[in-house]
Amino acid sequence: MNRWAGELAGRLLTVVVAFGLAFGLFALSGFDVGSIASGVLEGSLLGTGAVSNTIRWTIPLCLIGLGIAVSFRAGEFNIGAQGQMLIGSLLAVWVALEWNGPKFAVITLATVLAVLGGAAWSGVAGWLKVRAQADEVITTLMLNFVALQLVQWVTTGPLKDVATSGDSASTSRIDRSLRVQGSGEISIEIVALTALVAIGVWLLLERSRLGLHVSYVGGESSAAAWQGLPIARVQLISYLVAGALAGLTGAVEVFGPAGRVVTGATPLIGFTALIVTVVASYKVAGTVVSALFFGGLQAAILYLPIVSDVPVSGLRIVEGLVAMLITARVAVFLRRRRSASACSEASRHEASPEASSEMADAAEVR
Amino acid sequence: MEEFVASSIRTSIPLALAGVGSLFAVRAGIFHLGIEGLMLASAFAAVGVAHATSSVLLAVGAALAVSALLSLVYWALIDKLGANAIIAGLGLTTACIGGTAYFLDAIFDRRGRLDSPVGLPRPIRSAEDGLGAYVSELSILGWLTPVLVFIAWMILRRSRLGLRITAVGTYSYGAQAAGVQEQRVRLQAMLLTSIGAALAGTELALGGLSAFSEGMTNGRGFIALAAALFGLMHPLGTAAAAVFFGAAEAVGVVTQIQGFDLLPRPFILMIPFVLTIAAVTASAIVRKRTSAPKEETNIA
Repeated sequence: MNRWAGELAGRLLTVVVAFGLAFGLFALSGFDVGSIASGVLEGSLLGTGAVSNTIRWTIPLCLIGLGIAVSFRAGEFNIGAQGQMLIGSLLAVWVALEWNGPKFAVITLATVLAVLGGAAWSGVAGWLKVRAQADEVITTLMLNFVALQLVQWVTTGPLKDVATSGDSASTSRIDRSLRVQGSGEISIEIVALTALVAIGVWLLLERSRLGLHVSYVGGESSAAAWQGLPIARVQLISYLVAGALAGLTGAVEVFGPAGRVVTGATPLIGFTALIVTVVASYKVAGTVVSALFFGGLQAAILYLPIVSDVPVSGLRIVEGLVAMLITARVAVFLRRRRSASACSEASRHEASPEASSEMADAAEVR
Repeated sequence: MEEFVASSIRTSIPLALAGVGSLFAVRAGIFHLGIEGLMLASAFAAVGVAHATSSVLLAVGAALAVSALLSLVYWALIDKLGANAIIAGLGLTTACIGGTAYFLDAIFDRRGRLDSPVGLPRPIRSAEDGLGAYVSELSILGWLTPVLVFIAWMILRRSRLGLRITAVGTYSYGAQAAGVQEQRVRLQAMLLTSIGAALAGTELALGGLSAFSEGMTNGRGFIALAAALFGLMHPLGTAAAAVFFGAAEAVGVVTQIQGFDLLPRPFILMIPFVLTIAAVTASAIVRKRTSAPKEETNIA
């Protein structure tokens, strides 16, 4: 219990420090900090439509973040969610634009294809990792760029919307009747889907044999090998789950708030989702809460220019600072580590939260 | 054809500078995803100072200083506070993307773009037409790039620091046993990387356009990392990979200009990334085959 409280306090402290630094910066450059703060609150919580904007951004962050949690728990540093989501979006928009079937059939087929596509995109990196030990940080990062180029191609070529021009090319909007949500409101279906996914991932990670294996493989891989666990299979499954959820998010975006695929204009949800998951220490409930927080931040980023003259990009700094600080441990510094390497070795690839919090515990005991 | 060659060389210069710079960090065992942010911040610092003072020398100095300062913060987070290098690196890049856009607005009151009254000097001015015209467009940093690559090679291969960097990255316990102060070596490696990133950012901003625009690095820092890996973490290999990546981009530009399309441009731009995946996989397989089976658990 003590450990949980300590960890939670550490995480809140990080966020407070990040906001403090950014607001200090705003104050130094002569902006009215009070109006920015109230703008953030209005944009994410209090203003009209603010809550639904927050939820609009929470949903993709949460869905992707849950997948990343599975992957990170297995010790696999899959940072390709952005690309996997784009592949899902492309497949979904393709089905929606090209097939004039009944609504239910179109949405089902598109979603299934998006899920499979995302899983396959992630599975490539996973397969290369378990078969050839190809570093997944690199392969997933590169696959993001490949997916980005595919989007570029689709939006300027096959599914180009003739109405758009210039840099922000996009596909045509899918038919209004296919949408489960306009851009302004919240869709019950999508919220319910997200809740189901969250419960499913929780059951998978916390209550199933596979989940136990995942944590075991990610945490104590040599012990897992001695136990004779099918390590490669567990790792590969973690990639498939992460990719499937990112692909699902792509479909949700298409049938939900976005309605089409746009080049260059989408905020990098896949990377923010990474921060969401790390902030939550790969816990399911934590991911939901932290997705709400970052969803609110995203809503505020889009709202702020309406009420304040502070540059929007200012709040991006908060996001960056949180990512920079979240895995840092003041306790580590205070403890004056005997060997720097033992920790950095461990933290290069698997910033295992367990390891860090154990260290924090050790510091507390002292 | 000349246009194609010139265009590939121009696009490959920042990639080569950042890629070779990133070698120091990567060889020291840090996969430096913050290099994209360092490039962007340096480009901004260079244009900002050039805009204010009209001095190229001060602009380059500012780029180097900003890049070094941010690297110091990144190093402190990783080595002193035990932060995860990849998450913190992505955070650094995000903060720089936000930060440059913010300061562009807060200091210069501009949105999106800031012009610089001066650019990097172009030492060789020759003929008006043909290859000569393209050659005269190369900035002094472009001409210096081969020298810098060679210096990086010498540092990595021949200097005590370079050998220590590689030792720390490949066999940390061995390096410690030999009395190498790991943290200090990683700091030095990071500062060398910051030089590469700063020069790449400067070249990008002041080499051709003499302007800064929001998000102008556009993933080039990540591509430079890919070049380092594709070039087998050797300075010459990295520089060659940078030229190759530059050429792939130039093929895209030239086909677009001339209107013939063998392949749609996005597919040509994909090639470097696909090849990097292939190269990383191939080198991993080679490593697996040649080295004795470690006590690795993933074999199952």
